Amino acid sequence: MPKPIIELEDVWRTYEMGGEEVHALAGIDLRIDEGEYVSIMGPSGCGKSTLLNVLGCLDQPTAGNYRLAGEEISELDDDTLSLFRGRRIGFIFQSYNLIQQLSVLENIEVPLFYQGVPEADCRARAVELAEQVGLTERMDHRPNELSGGQQQRVAIARALANEPVVIFADEATGNLDSKSGDEILAIFEDLHQRGRTLVFVTHDEAMAERTTRTIRLKDGVVRVDTASGLGSGDEEGAAL
Amino acid sequence: MIRRILQLLSPGQIKRSFLLGTKSLWMHRLRSLLTALGIVFGVASVIAMLAIGEGASFEAQEQIRQLGSQNVIVESVLPTDSANDEADQSRGIEYGLKYRDLRQIQNTIPEVRLTVPAKKQQSSVWHGAWNVECEIMGTVPEFFDTRGLKLRRGRLFSPLEMEDRRNVAVIDEGTARKLFPLEDPIGSSLRVGADYFRVVGILEQVGGGNAGKEGEQNADLGRLLVPLSAFLERFGEINVKRRVGSVTTEKVEIHEFTAMVRDVEKVVPTANAIRRVLAMNREEGEYRITVPVELLKQAEKTRRIFNTVLGSIAAISLLVGGIGIMNIMLATVTERTREIGIRRALGARQGDIVFQFLVETVLLSGAGGVLGVALGLIVPAVVGHFTGMQTLIQLWAPTLAFSISLAVGILFGIYPAMRAARMNPVEALRHE
Repeated sequence: MPKPIIELEDVWRTYEMGGEEVHALAGIDLRIDEGEYVSIMGPSGCGKSTLLNVLGCLDQPTAGNYRLAGEEISELDDDTLSLFRGRRIGFIFQSYNLIQQLSVLENIEVPLFYQGVPEADCRARAVELAEQVGLTERMDHRPNELSGGQQQRVAIARALANEPVVIFADEATGNLDSKSGDEILAIFEDLHQRGRTLVFVTHDEAMAERTTRTIRLKDGVVRVDTASGLGSGDEEGAAL
Repeated sequence: MIRRILQLLSPGQIKRSFLLGTKSLWMHRLRSLLTALGIVFGVASVIAMLAIGEGASFEAQEQIRQLGSQNVIVESVLPTDSANDEADQSRGIEYGLKYRDLRQIQNTIPEVRLTVPAKKQQSSVWHGAWNVECEIMGTVPEFFDTRGLKLRRGRLFSPLEMEDRRNVAVIDEGTARKLFPLEDPIGSSLRVGADYFRVVGILEQVGGGNAGKEGEQNADLGRLLVPLSAFLERFGEINVKRRVGSVTTEKVEIHEFTAMVRDVEKVVPTANAIRRVLAMNREEGEYRITVPVELLKQAEKTRRIFNTVLGSIAAISLLVGGIGIMNIMLATVTERTREIGIRRALGARQGDIVFQFLVETVLLSGAGGVLGVALGLIVPAVVGHFTGMQTLIQLWAPTLAFSISLAVGILFGIYPAMRAARMNPVEALRHE
């Protein structure tokens, strides 16, 4: 029996907009197990960013339960949420989101720093990760001295720093040319092979096909889930 | 809040936070420098103004202290109406304090332990071809003690020499140096008019002489002290002043006397008693009373007012500096919204963000403080060099100024830092 990493039960995220309630997530049930390689797709405004924010503990659901690696996080305070983000989650963003005044190694060290890892250990781990993503020659460079693909590899190394239980990628190849994009995907696949849990949001059908499971969202609900048993197209009425 | 943040951080993290802060500030060198300038000038002006103020009041207090805190000094003054009266110019004037007054004060005011009379005359003092314009003072040996004059070398004149009206003299160091550049003054003779005096002692130089007393400008005069008996014998009771077209003769029994009070606490009432006695016997414009303790109190009061005014100016300039810092930090926080979002996503707690921005403001204001202290130490030295003003930098002044600069950093850094920390991570990440 695979270990569940993400368990969503009837998760709602509602925004107040001009006095009207907008349901960005309208009752999502989802379970992602350890080692899965999942892509989330859907038209813009379907709630995939909101879902990713909730999954990434950046945002909290308005209603429903979310368990990450077995722990309920819907009720946690801000500091504990930060701790969860730091220890359990790795983020990879479309626009890399590296800190410009820091070198490659220093960027990789950021999540370790916030977990209070001693300086020497931080450095050793950062060097190891930089080597792992093929940036041995560029460790002391600034992000603006790197190509997009290289920057994204720094971001991947950074996401791996704290040995997270799950890595979320938001359009990770969206800003890259196809060659660099393929390189990044190759790294993802490699990580998947090593048993990491990856969830990524994408527009790109071709990319989604390379994952082991695709979840399609529309109007805040799961419409299609290629894994059997969870989510389906028969919840038309759920979205208001 | 701060304590909670510090609890969350290890010493290593604090160190790295400071390094990181330095890096961020270094990225915007010019901006950081300009921001810190407000603090630099605030701190420098605090230190410089305090140094100049303290220097001035120290000098004044030192001069007053030399007069002796236990003393009441009474001087004879040429009454202004007779001085201005042209008809009196060629006549003899008799004014001032008398031995009678001295005796009366000594006998009726028990608090007065001792009265020391002195006669004064200004004259050239010669040794060979060298001469110095001196204030010659005839007095008794007790004078030295009551006025806190110390011998550098030699001795005072003895009671025997007093009795014998010997021509012995004690001179101050400056005069000794000018009159006897080549030989040992002790035992040598100097000449005043037709009289020769043997030097027996040399006084320690005291800065400024008796400039603490109002209206006197004889700081440049040398000092020559001789036994009162000898003074009376050689120079007589009457001073003769020759001017163009007129001869003025003055008869003054005592030029000044010092009344030493037994108890320091009772100087002021005793001075008032002396005032009453003199008011009965003498004309109003004939004498002047100086009470060093009163002057000291006044100087202290002046100093306090001065410091309060300076403190307010300093506070305002540091406030302005602090507002400048806050302004820039608010702009920085907005500019770095995305970075804040990234850090939050990577596990930074609100406290971490507060700490990070607080460290930056404190670094900024602290660096401004250090530069300000440096500038504040240089300015008084330069001012002192060019104007001759005495400046005094007390350790507490730079310490205080620097601490205030750090406090300003924390005070004005808190709000921008809190604002940074309270940002919604999702929105911060979306920020362009």
